Amino acid sequence: MDPSALQSPELQNFLNQEKERAMINEMVGKLTSACWDKCITGTPGSKFSSSETNCLTNCAQRYMEMSLMIVKRFQNMQ
Amino acid sequence: MDSFSSASSGSSSQYSTNDIMDQVKTQLAQAYAEQFLETVRDKCFDKCITKPGSSLSGSEGSCISRCVDRYIEATGIISKALFSQR
Repeated sequence: MDPSALQSPELQNFLNQEKERAMINEMVGKLTSACWDKCITGTPGSKFSSSETNCLTNCAQRYMEMSLMIVKRFQNMQ
Repeated sequence: MDSFSSASSGSSSQYSTNDIMDQVKTQLAQAYAEQFLETVRDKCFDKCITKPGSSLSGSEGSCISRCVDRYIEATGIISKALFSQR
């Protein structure tokens, strides 16, 4: 393999983008798993009820709020 | 997929930046798919196979189908909740 192919800024940009994409996918994956457990309590139906849909949406948003809250509190202790 | 489209100097065994990017993309996509499937297996096994019998019943089978569809849907809902401004 031509080693200079690894140095190109194009490749570095690409790798950074893919890294970010992978981090986002991981977060969505973890959240979906956790929120599924919290919100889909019965047997899966042929569609979600509106309360299940709302719960999933709320779950994701509350998680993000909580994240910010935790960082702030932690910063206050420094 | 033969995509050695960029001209490279030297031997034909050298990879271009494009080839590296293609390989990385493919491998990342495969890893993501495997991880996603693993999660769906866990969730749907929990929900649908509560008392394993000597074969999959019809209701277990339809539960699994619905479960896969719902889990994919849930992934979309979470994505949207995180990334679209409302």
